[in-house]
Amino acid sequence: MQFSSALLENAVNEFAKLPGIGKKTALRLVLHLLKQDTAEVSNFSEVIAKMRSEIRFCQRCFNVADADICSICSNSMRKQEIICVVENIRDVIAIESTQQFNGTYHVLGGIISPLDGVGPDQLNIESLILRVQKEKTEELIFALNPNIQGDTTIYYIQKKIQPLGIRVTTIARGIAFGGELEYTDELTLGRSLQNRMPVENYVSNR
Amino acid sequence: MNRSFSFPERITAICGNNGTGKTNLLDAIHYLSFTKSYFTRMDALNVRQGKSGFRLEGVFEVNGQPEKTCCVLRENGKKEFSVNETLYEKFSSHIGRYPCVIIAPDDISMITNGSEERRRFLDSLLSQLDPGYLQHLISYIKIQQQRNSLLKSFADTHQQNFELLEVIDHQLVREGTPLFEKRKEFLVSFLPVVKQLYNNISQQYEDITLVYDSELLQDAFGSILAANRQKDLWSQRTTSGIHKDDIDIRFAGQPFRTIASQGQRKSLLFALKLAEMEVLRDKKGFPPLLLLDDVFEKLDEERISNLLYRVCIENKGQVFITDTNKDRLCKHLEMVNTTYQCIDI
Repeated sequence: MQFSSALLENAVNEFAKLPGIGKKTALRLVLHLLKQDTAEVSNFSEVIAKMRSEIRFCQRCFNVADADICSICSNSMRKQEIICVVENIRDVIAIESTQQFNGTYHVLGGIISPLDGVGPDQLNIESLILRVQKEKTEELIFALNPNIQGDTTIYYIQKKIQPLGIRVTTIARGIAFGGELEYTDELTLGRSLQNRMPVENYVSNR
Repeated sequence: MNRSFSFPERITAICGNNGTGKTNLLDAIHYLSFTKSYFTRMDALNVRQGKSGFRLEGVFEVNGQPEKTCCVLRENGKKEFSVNETLYEKFSSHIGRYPCVIIAPDDISMITNGSEERRRFLDSLLSQLDPGYLQHLISYIKIQQQRNSLLKSFADTHQQNFELLEVIDHQLVREGTPLFEKRKEFLVSFLPVVKQLYNNISQQYEDITLVYDSELLQDAFGSILAANRQKDLWSQRTTSGIHKDDIDIRFAGQPFRTIASQGQRKSLLFALKLAEMEVLRDKKGFPPLLLLDDVFEKLDEERISNLLYRVCIENKGQVFITDTNKDRLCKHLEMVNTTYQCIDI
């Protein structure tokens, strides 16, 4: 792409660094900003800069926060004794959207995968164990992706906290709600059969 | 250049000089059965020189119903595969629809090379018989990679997190043990069939033994991993497990590959492949297609006759045979008294 202005080119290149944004989309965004008032664009860049420089991570659960403790942890209506362990902040948002969970979170910041150079030390696992010891947690719910690395992470943490004798659970894996049996892949369907549940639980949970 | 062939007889002989496209024709059949070439992994290599793609069509008759199978490789490298004009979303779901066994000259490495080729043969056969097997195998390989990376990181960082290693060991055992059980159970019935077929081909009793060889036969996988931990730490990889399994083949007590002749090796290869064919036939309820690529080199006349009798008379499925020597092939086919079609390429 040929630019007649180096300023324009720099801006396009910066936008193109964002995930899912290519050069052409970046150019479209930049040209859009160019059409707007200077003040508006200044505000835009300030908001972003401020977001990055002032955002904090909750000291307790490592979720994004505006203060030392995030709004979920400081909410006294939520059950502090139940901790949902998730991989990243996106998962917190996903579970919050269900409006079905009234406990607190713990964001690991990744999952254990030696192949990608991620070991337990790079994650917020030590802090989770300390937290569980300190807070008299009743239940730990693992909401990690159902793959090998997710399993590794669950087993590892479970092994670490086993002596504390608290309840450890993981979210169910199976057929998607509103899905159809014949279109479910064999692995998922097979797992669902293995981990079938009593109808009483099923009915009362609906 | 387009060419089309029809195969009205159960036995098809394909003759022609080197480089005329005999194997190419066989590979086309393989391609439509497995959605890929037997000889190369790169689709681009199947394209005619100077062209940017290809189209391959075949009509298969399954239970009396003709099915039009079509594969197109587009200019952009995208591959489409369809049966009766219905495109596949996942190519893997096509595999097994037209069961097919191919024997090609390079397959002899299964006998002469290390254990890897024999495991691949076993794994691909068991995956066709049991989809769950493939799933365990994929998971096992992933966990093994994770474990090896962890062992490397121990050496690099001088920190050894044994708790994590134990967790990964546990996962490896959980995937590896069912694979071992499946292999053991399958080979108990499979290996005697191979031996029987081998003796049929050689027409005399030869003292060969085939034995499943796995460390897991001695001890539980978990204990083996624990016992080899120091060794694994030292070599920075997983030195024991089902990825070291083998089929141990002996001839009069000696390793087969070191003392067997070329013809004997070849006979054993046939025995393995024909046994594979029998297993697939029993599973599918009809005999698979058999593709024989230039298989008669290095075999004596008697073995050729025995082999042809087995695949053309005893086996009721469709057979395709290539050879550079038309006279030899036709003479042998007439000797076993079968009707056949001969295609000159």
